[in-house]
Amino acid sequence: MTANPNEILREDASGQVLIRLRGEVDLSWTQDVRRAVLAAFDAGKPVGIDLSAVDYIDSSGIAALVEGLQKARAQGLGFALVAPSAAVRAVLELARLDQVFKIVANAAALTAPA
Amino acid sequence: MTSPRPRVVAAPAPEASARADDALAFLAELSRSLAVSLDLQQTLSEVITRLRDFLGVEGIALFLFDARREVLECRICSGPVDVAGMRLAPGQGVVGRAAAEDATQLVTDAANDARVWRAADEATGFATRSLVCAPLRTAAGPIGVIEIVNRRDGRPFSSADARLLELVAAPAALAINSARMAGELLEQQRLKREFDLARHLQKSLLPRRRRDDFPVLGVNRPAHEMSGDFFDHFELADGRIAFVIGDVSGKGLDAALLMVRAAGLLRWIGKQGLAPSAWLAQANQELVETVREGRFVCVVVGYCDRAATRVQFASAGFPPILVHRDGQWSEQIADGPPLGIVAGIEFAQHEVELGDGVFYAFSDGATDVRDANGARIGLEGLRALIDRHAQQSPAARVRALLGDLRRMHLVDDTTLLLIQAPQAELPELLYTRVLPARADALRALRVELRAAFDAQHIEPTLRDRLVLAVDEACTNIIRHGYGACGEGVIALRALRHDAVLTIELVDSAPLTDPARLKPGTLGECRSGGLGIAFIDTIMDQWHIEPLADGSGNRLVLCKRIESWSHAEADEA
Repeated sequence: MTANPNEILREDASGQVLIRLRGEVDLSWTQDVRRAVLAAFDAGKPVGIDLSAVDYIDSSGIAALVEGLQKARAQGLGFALVAPSAAVRAVLELARLDQVFKIVANAAALTAPA
Repeated sequence: MTSPRPRVVAAPAPEASARADDALAFLAELSRSLAVSLDLQQTLSEVITRLRDFLGVEGIALFLFDARREVLECRICSGPVDVAGMRLAPGQGVVGRAAAEDATQLVTDAANDARVWRAADEATGFATRSLVCAPLRTAAGPIGVIEIVNRRDGRPFSSADARLLELVAAPAALAINSARMAGELLEQQRLKREFDLARHLQKSLLPRRRRDDFPVLGVNRPAHEMSGDFFDHFELADGRIAFVIGDVSGKGLDAALLMVRAAGLLRWIGKQGLAPSAWLAQANQELVETVREGRFVCVVVGYCDRAATRVQFASAGFPPILVHRDGQWSEQIADGPPLGIVAGIEFAQHEVELGDGVFYAFSDGATDVRDANGARIGLEGLRALIDRHAQQSPAARVRALLGDLRRMHLVDDTTLLLIQAPQAELPELLYTRVLPARADALRALRVELRAAFDAQHIEPTLRDRLVLAVDEACTNIIRHGYGACGEGVIALRALRHDAVLTIELVDSAPLTDPARLKPGTLGECRSGGLGIAFIDTIMDQWHIEPLADGSGNRLVLCKRIESWSHAEADEA
């Protein structure tokens, strides 16, 4: 394990913004995640949060995703979770939010018609 | 096989070319109907009836090997003479030869063929003119023979007839084999059900673990389905507690049955409150009279008082008793022979002042466990294992000990009985840590907690949820407990009491108003109250209370772990 295994990558494409998260989302890191998620809407494009490399997420991390969803709704933009890992899915199910979020298998599905 | 002379000529056989076409259709139909049949007798009747009509023969018979493959028995036949039940040795007659050589036999002129066993015709009065025998082949060799006798048109069988019989023999053998295997499977399932019932009954004979202040604790782990080991404890009217631990020679069902008898006998005699030596002498007398075939029973019987200050016992061929007191071990070697061998034996009696010590009796399954080098761990190895868990409560110690033994590899029934003064059962400490109340300390905490829960065999989904609940609790203390007032610590302990996991988090933050900790509603798209809602969902119970001296808060999370309940039931 490296000193700081957590990582946020932002990928701006023509039709969307993708935020790739890697590591464990807990209280030590959620503020950074929250800022990155909210900032992604600046481009005025649909936003995807790639959670395939997230090994752990707690309620503070889920709260950051919920804030993203609320902002997307307010701005009328698309918002989806991309390929959440099993660990993330388990917590989404526990929070009964797996039906609330739009969950897609890959980034390409972000801009596909629903 | 028979047709009285002069024979009656039946309908003429079909022409050869038409027969070949019919044969294919017949084979297809036969295979289809055989494939769906799993009843052996029904399968055989079908084969016989259809073949006799199709082949246009006077007689047809199906011989199958018995279970030990020593005799070929006619299981079903159709023809003027009933030969069902006829038994042939492999090699005897044309049928026996087909089986022994695993080769089809064609006899065109039975009167002048040396292979034919004439006694059969003499016994039945039947005149065999011509016959074909084809082995019923399976991967494991022939399982029997199918025989046809005398064409109805009076002509001798040809090699084309022999090939046709070979063709129909293949699916018939397959169907018979399937039906047999299905039968064996049903029988195995029936036996397994019987075994399960017997195992449950045997287990129900062992006393259940007492939860009150009871000084005797026993456990039994059978090496196979049934156990030859047993233990027992019961109270006498005068307040003494009687105990028995025994090991019947041999393993398996016969040992288990003797165990049931010995356990009942020892309990019945023990209820009379006799001295341990007299108890054994009486049981020995009874077993010598009734036990056969060199079987015997090794046993320790005795009494202790409710506070377990003193243990009185006698041993018959049982492994040494171990007493652990003030960090010292002492052994008491059995001085009497096992029960059931020699009549009129007197057994010595012993008494141990137990004080705050522990009395252990182990069946030899425990000392026969092999270490990493394949060597018996013996009494010395067993003492070393007990030493490792000496600080734990009796139930936790026994659990840990059995866990160690199982990991090393149990080869025999293993039973142990422990006597120790009752004490308030302390919870077992699984994990303890004082961590700084900082978000960056949580990751390491999660890693350690996962390992601690894994060590307790908590399945991964539940483990991850429990870790999440603890993480949420810490997050709450960090954010809302210490919050503005700066840094502090969280003292965390995970405890196991029977099947309940308790996690205790103590902080020195300003007192928390429990009313403020309200779980949010799950499924709502809101970012607040989710952490408490997680704790509320994952745990069975939780509460927060101020420390007695007002210096902080204690948050307590409880969860019953189902897999631990099952393990406890196993030990009972």
